[in-house]
Amino acid sequence: MIAAVQARWNRWLTRRLPASSRVRLTQRRIFIVPSKVGVMFLLALTLMLLAAINYQNSLAYALTFLLGSVFIVAILHTYRNLSGLVLRAAGANTVFVGEHVRYQVTLESLNHAHQAISLGFADEPPLIVDVPPQASTPAELSLLTTQRGWLKAPRMRVESGFPLGLLKAWSWVDLDQQALVYPQPIAADLPPVMASVGDEDEQGLRVSADGADDFQGLRSYQAGDSRKRLHWKAYSRGMGLLVKDFASLGGSQTCLDIAALSGDQEYRLSVLCYWVLQYTERHQPFSLRLDDKQIAADTGDVHCQACLRALALTGLSQ
Amino acid sequence: MSQIQVIPRISLTWLLVAQVLVILPHLSHLPLWVIGLWLGCAAWRVQIFRMRANYPSTLLKLGLMIATGCGVFLSRGSLIGLDAGVVLLVGAFILKLLEMRTRRDALVLIFLGFFVVVTAYLFDDSITAALYSVLPVTALLAGLIGLQQSSLASRPWDTAKLAAGLMLQALPIMLLLFVFFPRIGPLWSLPMPGGNAVTGLSDSMTPGDIADLSRSGALAFRASFDGEVPPRTELYWRALTLDRFDGRRWSQSSALNYSPSPDWQKAGDPVSYSIVMQPSSQPWLFALDVAETSLPQTRQLSDFRLQRSKPVERSLLYQVTSWPQALREPHGSSTGLRRALQLPANVDPRSRQWARELRQQYPQDEQLVNALLKHFNQQPFVYTLRPPQMSRDSVDDFLFDSRRGFCAHYAGAMTFVLRAAGIPSRVVAGYQGGEYNPNGNYVQVRQFDAHAWVEYWQPDRGWVSVDPTFQVAPERIESGLEQALAGEESFMEGSPFSPLRFRKLAWLNQIRLAWDNLNYSWQRWVLGYQGAQQLELLQRWFGRVEARELIISLVGGGALFLAFIALWLFKPWIRNGAPEQRLFSQFERLLRRHGIYRKAGEVPGHFARRAAIALPRQAPEIIQFYRSFEAQYYAGESIDPKLLRSQLRQLRRALPLRLSRLDRQQ
Repeated sequence: MIAAVQARWNRWLTRRLPASSRVRLTQRRIFIVPSKVGVMFLLALTLMLLAAINYQNSLAYALTFLLGSVFIVAILHTYRNLSGLVLRAAGANTVFVGEHVRYQVTLESLNHAHQAISLGFADEPPLIVDVPPQASTPAELSLLTTQRGWLKAPRMRVESGFPLGLLKAWSWVDLDQQALVYPQPIAADLPPVMASVGDEDEQGLRVSADGADDFQGLRSYQAGDSRKRLHWKAYSRGMGLLVKDFASLGGSQTCLDIAALSGDQEYRLSVLCYWVLQYTERHQPFSLRLDDKQIAADTGDVHCQACLRALALTGLSQ
Repeated sequence: MSQIQVIPRISLTWLLVAQVLVILPHLSHLPLWVIGLWLGCAAWRVQIFRMRANYPSTLLKLGLMIATGCGVFLSRGSLIGLDAGVVLLVGAFILKLLEMRTRRDALVLIFLGFFVVVTAYLFDDSITAALYSVLPVTALLAGLIGLQQSSLASRPWDTAKLAAGLMLQALPIMLLLFVFFPRIGPLWSLPMPGGNAVTGLSDSMTPGDIADLSRSGALAFRASFDGEVPPRTELYWRALTLDRFDGRRWSQSSALNYSPSPDWQKAGDPVSYSIVMQPSSQPWLFALDVAETSLPQTRQLSDFRLQRSKPVERSLLYQVTSWPQALREPHGSSTGLRRALQLPANVDPRSRQWARELRQQYPQDEQLVNALLKHFNQQPFVYTLRPPQMSRDSVDDFLFDSRRGFCAHYAGAMTFVLRAAGIPSRVVAGYQGGEYNPNGNYVQVRQFDAHAWVEYWQPDRGWVSVDPTFQVAPERIESGLEQALAGEESFMEGSPFSPLRFRKLAWLNQIRLAWDNLNYSWQRWVLGYQGAQQLELLQRWFGRVEARELIISLVGGGALFLAFIALWLFKPWIRNGAPEQRLFSQFERLLRRHGIYRKAGEVPGHFARRAAIALPRQAPEIIQFYRSFEAQYYAGESIDPKLLRSQLRQLRRALPLRLSRLDRQQ
């Protein structure tokens, strides 16, 4: 029952507040209700009104009405404090399973200041930031990772009770952010160095050294991607920023082969991950062979990243 | 979560300020030990703030609470009632500040603070008190705002300014609510702040009492007449009658309260006026003879005074219509007349003897009264606030020896002689005259206008008023006490700096009258804005008063004001592009002047490259600007409009100055 309601709520949110990497909070996106403190305040005002009536005291009436009017005016102010705020996805770091992924969010003000904005995922303690007028403030939201692959950031709650805290205005924002989570490295003995296997592989190695990778497709731009790989033609067609995705081919002397390992799939990936890190540290060339993908032998950070990426994504439907 | 719970510095600062401002108006009626408690707790709290002291332990807090409760009980004699309640409230307010740790505590403190401000109004609702209370309310709101601010905010004045701004914006809606919110009577009766000694008439009088009143410039009441203000000599404001004499003191007989209202016949032209009286702690109202009022819970007693069911403990507005020429009790009432002849036995033999002689000489009552008045007029009687001490036979001493006295002496002596001669008579206590304020067309009556005169009864004519003081000191009646005592300098002896003493300085007097007028309007239109007054005002505005119209006015007016505030806050006429986009369109405009147009749908990058080719000399600046724009707009670098702006400025300088567009020349 609750799950069904939750699902409906999420569908409604998705329809009303579609995901986007740049979100400007407008009246469609902002909700506002009295906070708990606000309800207490109204109760206190009722008591004051009773005192004013019973003592027939005009000044007590006046103060009650003044505070009541302040409450009404505060609706506008609380709404304004959130309205116009721009949130932008500013990338996320890649982590291993078990670490906290940190999603970068930039909060921008187009005109007035936004004070005491609390920002957070549903179950995490929120972060409180101020955004000065016509400036931007970076914020970082972290989330514990439990499995490899792409980790999509949940909707974050942007909330503020400023100025009086009697009302709270909030919005659920989906900045369409995702972070790549590598498998958790698990230490294991390094595999034996395998012998060289023929000319084809030698050639593949050379190809890899030349840096000519296999074009795999296009994916949307993320912070940290090389500028050289931006697909300008697609951009000029108005398709947004796309990056050319490449996969390496090749072979190596050391081949890290998933088939050579036994055990649970996730365990095997974790061991491979550990090995990739070890070899990279030692500057030894290695190749990687997974069920659905091969990466030719190479060394260096780029190679390491490609391998980790393959490990993170293997077997998962994109 | 602890980060959220801690009270921000700004909030704490404003709460400390607010406490001072909230408690200040209560100082005059708080017991001294509460002030000691307050100073101690405030000092402690500041030390906690400076990390030099710890929060009080639970045991100590409990001890302080119990001690405060006991203290209130000891100094107020109870824990309930308004006086004790206010001290308890202030005590709670003080202790809460000391133990305040979390935001929740701070909220409780702020709400308590608002209540303490409200209780201050019950003790003082003058215009100055009302204006002053804006300060503590602003400080409390600033404390509330401070609670919401992140710890980065560090400028307390900005917070206070925001609070003041909120209040200012709330003002129109508050006024609407104040005018239109229906006023109903008290839902249940509550104790009023009382027990304060109020200067004024009391229900018994020795001659010295009225002399004491004459030293006070305190306001008794103000009266606004619908038509012209009657001449000063006709302004005899009745408060009560004193018909019992014990040889020294005139007082009212207790039977009066239960007797039915007297019969009287309206005659002559009525006079209509409204009176705003100051709290007197006495049940009687002031009015000219013979008065009728529509005020509820008020009736006319057998001596023609108006009396409320409860003492007047706060300023009161009432409408009166008086018939000065009315015939009062032409047939008399046997008990009333009997009371009006009562005299104590064995005092003042000489006066009784003189009364008998007068009676023989003047068999007609009126002749006798006239002869008595003539006696006061022609014998060397002196009107003075400093009469000599009287012996046991005070009337004898006054009439035959000293012949120096005050209105109460003359009224008392005359009533004594009339009664001794067999004419029913009594002393009337009240006020005479008053100062006319031309700014507001009303008469203000002060305590030194207190007066006593005489009324006697005649068959068929009823009660007739006479004023023996008029025979001795006509200037007292015609121009007031100050003139009557011009030679004596005893006028307002007790208050040498009262502005009333400087009425001869014209400019000062002008200011005084204007200030008094302001206070009077405040009383009538703000403090007195209760049921009847509200109905009257709304009727004047709308012709008739119906709930539907009131609600429409209230809601419509409120919505209108809110819309204005919203327009002012959001300024929808200002277009809010992202700053980097705004700067890019400036860049476009700049290049347009040099003949380079961005084609429809052309990406910024392509446009910039084309511009760089077209203007090779300025290409570095163009490319520099575009790179920064691209980095900020697409690549997620933080927005820095300043950098873009300065690069745009460099480009503008690099380009030849051109104000008009090129296309016309080409």
